[in-house]
Amino acid sequence: MPGQKLLEVSDSELRGDNTMGEVFFKRFTFNQLLEHWVMIGTFMLLVISGMPLKFPDAWWSPVIINLLGGFEMRTLIHHTAGTGMVLLGIYHVGYHIFVDKEPLLERKVWPTLTDVKDFWQTILFYVGKAEHPKFGRYSWKEKFDYWGAFWGMVMLCVTGLIMLFPFVAMEYIPYAYVHLSTIIHTDEALLATLFIFIVHWWNVHYSPEVFPMSKAWITGNLSEEQMKHEHPLEYEEIMRQMNEKSEKITFNR
Amino acid sequence: MLSPGKNLYLLLKNKFVLILILLIPLFTSVGYAQEDISCYHCHTKVVSEFRNNIHYQKGFTCADCHGGNDQANSSVISYSVMSGNFIGRPSRNNITNVCSKCHPQEAKDYKTSIHWAQIQKGHPEAATCTDCHGVHEIRAISDPNSSSNHQNSPATCAKCHSNKEMMSAWYYGIKTDRFDTYKESFHWRALSKGYTLVATCSDCHGNHNTKSTTDPDSSTYPENLPKTCGKTNCHPGVNFDAKIASGLVHDKESLHTGELVFNKTSLEPQMKDYFFGPFDLAYWIAIFFKVLTTGVIGIFAGMVILDFLSRLKVHKRW
Repeated sequence: MPGQKLLEVSDSELRGDNTMGEVFFKRFTFNQLLEHWVMIGTFMLLVISGMPLKFPDAWWSPVIINLLGGFEMRTLIHHTAGTGMVLLGIYHVGYHIFVDKEPLLERKVWPTLTDVKDFWQTILFYVGKAEHPKFGRYSWKEKFDYWGAFWGMVMLCVTGLIMLFPFVAMEYIPYAYVHLSTIIHTDEALLATLFIFIVHWWNVHYSPEVFPMSKAWITGNLSEEQMKHEHPLEYEEIMRQMNEKSEKITFNR
Repeated sequence: MLSPGKNLYLLLKNKFVLILILLIPLFTSVGYAQEDISCYHCHTKVVSEFRNNIHYQKGFTCADCHGGNDQANSSVISYSVMSGNFIGRPSRNNITNVCSKCHPQEAKDYKTSIHWAQIQKGHPEAATCTDCHGVHEIRAISDPNSSSNHQNSPATCAKCHSNKEMMSAWYYGIKTDRFDTYKESFHWRALSKGYTLVATCSDCHGNHNTKSTTDPDSSTYPENLPKTCGKTNCHPGVNFDAKIASGLVHDKESLHTGELVFNKTSLEPQMKDYFFGPFDLAYWIAIFFKVLTTGVIGIFAGMVILDFLSRLKVHKRW
């Protein structure tokens, strides 16, 4: 993003003790971190309060409902957290369309053909037939995470609102569609839950690469080491830009 | 030191006390029964059930329903017990007459119901007062143990309505999956988890005056649904244009077989809106998510496993 700080330099550089401090690379803005935190909070509440209703006959279903404080409280929690998530979705789309100044179509989050190539190369890498692909700012996995969550949010929020206000919805759609909403809502929620708990948490928590966790979700930064390893193309690009800048400064002197 | 005689005395004394304690409840219960109901000697079980009856607690006796003279000597099967207006066990189409003596309004409502209409048509097995309220163990509606308590209504109706033999033998065409399909609804899921402020059978179908869905006076007749669902304590403010009749209230996964239907004229009107072209959306959406979930989780979980294996030096790390 133009005007966005790409590097964050730790204090030691300012100490003037001639030692280069550790360099951090800006991964997420505070705004993005905040969105992610709200997402975590609402998502976990929604999963805990929603799954006992998706699987009412499971032994843990009444246990969780009782722990939450009864069925009415479960419903209240689910509706409140759901409203929070809907607002988050609206804020996210609104912010990144109207406030974010980077041209919409030039953003690095859009899927490209390279991602398809990288996806295939990753599979080949896993079976030992190719090098690991080099990723730019967003790897295909991260793009899939993002767009998966995006699609899931749209599905869950729309069907969730239909179920929250069924009789308002029924002024426009037949009752049958409210039923279809319950199918879409719960199946999509199950997919999202499995994906987050298995795949996303593997990538950011359990994987030996980052265990116990990648701290980027708290600090918004990546270390130089991580940057070189996980986003080598972006690292090279940043370094190239930095060099250009410093050359310009030298030239001006 | 105590002598052996003294010891024996103490033991006996203790046993007597023990026996006495054991016998006290027996004496009291027999005494209690003789006090109020002379029928107890022979109809022990029935009278025991009657103890839980709200009518018993309000001071009514056997004679109030069965007639006869309950003041007669209890120790003899006496002609005098069954004297006068004794009616014994009322026949199924006469039960209403017994109850209507004190509950005229309820009986009047009941006589507009499909159940009564069936009894009139010569199907005495159709539900009458006692099938929902109990025979001798009639409890107050507000009693959680009452079979006609709000939250017990599904189980009570299911006694007959989930009974395939009963439904098909006498009344051709009545669906026996009504309780199963109700179990798929939010109403039941909430109810079974202890949230009782939700609709059970009687809230939609009515209780005494329950009617066939095809009857224009029925609370579940499509055009009456907005009013039924929009009751003050349920979903107030339901718009009367709401397309609430165009879907299955009693829905279940197995009702959507995925069979392609090109000619929809033979479909039930409630089923039509589930179709997009010849496709039953409820079936195909579920299939879509099964494939999507299996595919996405399968591929990615497979990668997680491969990634993990790479840690065990199955191949070179990146």
